[in-house]
Amino acid sequence: MSVVERPRTAPVISTRMLRSELRLIFGRRRNIAGMGVLASVPIIIAVAIAIAGTPEAGEGPTFLSQVTSNGLFVGLAALAAELPLFLPLAVAAISGDAVAGEANIGTLRYLLTVPVNRTRLLAVKYAAILVFTVAAVLLVAAVGVLIGLALFGGGPATLLSGSQVGTAEGLWRLLLVCGYMSVCLAAFGAIGLFVSTLTEQPIGATIAVVGLALISQILDAIASLSPIHRFLPTHYWLAFGDLLRDPISTDLVLTGMLSAAAYALIFWTAAWARFAGKDVTS
Amino acid sequence: MSVLTARPALRWVVPVAVVAVVLTAGVAGRALTADADPSLPPRTAAQLLVDLQTSAVTGLSGTVVQRADLGLPELPVSLGGQGSSEFAGLVTGTHTLRVWYAGEQKQRIALLGTLGESDLVRNGRDVWTWSSSSNEVTHLVLPAADHEQPLPTDLPTTPQEAADAALAAIGPSTTVGTDGTATVAGRAAYELVLRPKDSESLVDQVRIAIDAEQMVPLRVRVYAQDATVPALEIGFSQISFETPGDEHFDFQPPTDASVTEASPGDPSAAEAASAAPTVIGDGWTAVLVTDAPDLTASTEEPSELTGILQSLPRTSGSWGSGWLLESALVSVLVTDDGELLVGAVSPERLFEVAAR
Repeated sequence: MSVVERPRTAPVISTRMLRSELRLIFGRRRNIAGMGVLASVPIIIAVAIAIAGTPEAGEGPTFLSQVTSNGLFVGLAALAAELPLFLPLAVAAISGDAVAGEANIGTLRYLLTVPVNRTRLLAVKYAAILVFTVAAVLLVAAVGVLIGLALFGGGPATLLSGSQVGTAEGLWRLLLVCGYMSVCLAAFGAIGLFVSTLTEQPIGATIAVVGLALISQILDAIASLSPIHRFLPTHYWLAFGDLLRDPISTDLVLTGMLSAAAYALIFWTAAWARFAGKDVTS
Repeated sequence: MSVLTARPALRWVVPVAVVAVVLTAGVAGRALTADADPSLPPRTAAQLLVDLQTSAVTGLSGTVVQRADLGLPELPVSLGGQGSSEFAGLVTGTHTLRVWYAGEQKQRIALLGTLGESDLVRNGRDVWTWSSSSNEVTHLVLPAADHEQPLPTDLPTTPQEAADAALAAIGPSTTVGTDGTATVAGRAAYELVLRPKDSESLVDQVRIAIDAEQMVPLRVRVYAQDATVPALEIGFSQISFETPGDEHFDFQPPTDASVTEASPGDPSAAEAASAAPTVIGDGWTAVLVTDAPDLTASTEEPSELTGILQSLPRTSGSWGSGWLLESALVSVLVTDDGELLVGAVSPERLFEVAAR
C-alpha cells in the first residue's frame, strides 16, 4: 500500500484529491445502483400515468394531477415524492460512508499517513458529498423532465398561484427548486459526515441519519410542537413550493437557506472537532 | 493550530461557539423585529380614529401572518388545518397570506399553504377565486352599478364626524383608549385598545396597531380574559406602500382548470341566505345561532368533523342537552335538536340563549 496507489499527496490548490474521491463515489457499484433507484421513480410515475391516467385534482401526491398538461411536472412530482425519504437516504448513504466507510475497510489509517492534514481531508470529503447531492437531485429532475416531455410533451405549466408559464420559465422554476433542495440536503449531508466520524460502521451512520430525517419530519407534523418546528433540520424543506408561486415568495426560502447554512456549519465543525481528536485504530 | 493539535479536545470549542453564534443571531434577529417600542408623539383614541379615516393609501403589498390560538381542537389538514391552503382553515394554527392592494378596484389575497395556494383576486368587476389543490376557479362579475350607488345621506361626511360616530356607537359597550406604541413589520405604530365593558364577554381586549406614518391598521390582536398571549392575531410581517403593478391582478384561469361562473343573484347564494345564521344580542356578547351540520349525514368529509364533535363533553340543563366546546375566546354549543350556538361569551350565556 503506498502513495502511488492512492494518490492523495496533492498540493494545496488541487482538485486531485476531490477527483479521486468523486471517482470512488460515482464508481462504486452500490452507489450506481442507488442512483438507478432514484432515477426509477420519475420513470415509474410517468409510465403509470401514461397507462392509468392522471388522478383527480386534489387526489394523489402533489403535482401528479398536472403531469399530463406539461411533462415538466414529472420531474417536479418525482422530486416531491423523493424528498421525504429517497433523497435523504441517498445523501445519508454517501455521507455516512465518508469516514466510517474508510475506517471500516481499514483504508483510513493509510489515508492519514500521507501528508494531508485531517481538516483538508474532511473538507474534500464534504465537497464530494455536495457534488453527489447536487448530482442526485439533478438526476431525478432530468430523468423526469426527459421522460415527461417525451410522453406528454410541453405545454403551459400552471404555477401554484394559478398563472401559467411556458416550458422555458417552467424549466427555470424547476432548476430553482433543484437548487433549493440541494442546499437543504447538503446541510443534511454535514450531519451525516459528523455521524460518520463517530463510528466505524458506515451502515450504522446511514441508518442513524435517515432515522433523524424521519423523526424530524414526524415532529414537524405534530402541530402541538410548533414552537420547536423552526429548529428542525427538515422543517423548511417543503418551502420549495414557494418557488412555484407567482411572484416567487422568498421569505421562507431564504430562512430555509439560512437554517441549512447554520446546520452545515455546526455539524461540519463538529465533525472536524471529532475527527481531529479521533484515534484511528482500524 | 499547535494548541489544537496538542489538545484536540479544545477543537470542540469551535462547534459550540458556532451553535452559540447561530442561536444569538436568531434571537437578536427576532428581537430587532419585535417589540422595541418606538417613541412617538402621543395621540388620543379619537385622533387615531380620525387618522384611520383620512389615511390616503393608494396601494400596498405585503405578507400577513395570521395566528389563531383559540383552544379549539386541531383540525386535520384535509379540513383546513395548519399547512392547508384552503380559506376555511383560518380558524386554527398559523397561516401566511400575501396581499396586494391597488385601490378599491384591484385587490388580491393569496393564502399560502404547503405546496398549495388559494387566491382571491378582484380586478375591476371581475372577481376570481383559485384553489391550487382542487384546480378550481370561480368567476364572478360584479354588477356595474355596484360602485356608483349614491351614498346614504346619513353617513358622516367628515372623518371627525365618522370617528365621533364610531366612538358613540361603541361607547356604551366598549372602553376605547390608547396604550403606548408597537413595532409591526419594522414600522412604528400606535396601539388602539378596545375593551368590552360587559363582563360576560370572554374578550379582555382588542389591540389594533396603527401605522404612525400611513395610518393604516398593521396588526389586530385579540386577548382572552386573563391571557397574556393573544388568542387571535393577524398582522403584517412585511409591508410595502408602493402600489403593486397590474400584473398581480390580471388573473387568467389555467387552461385545464374547471371554471365555475357565478353571478351575484346566484340561486346558491339565495340558498345560503335562507340558512343564514341569526344573531342574538349585540356588541361583544352577541351569540350566533345557526343550524348544526347534520351529524347523521353519511358524506365522506364531515365524518371527521363528527368525530371531533362527539369527543366534546356533553352538557345539559333546562334548555336541553348537547355538546359544549369551551375555549379561551369562544364557546360553542351544539344542541341535540340541531342548533349551533357560537359566541365570545361564557357557556352560561349560551345556555340562556338556548333556553329562549
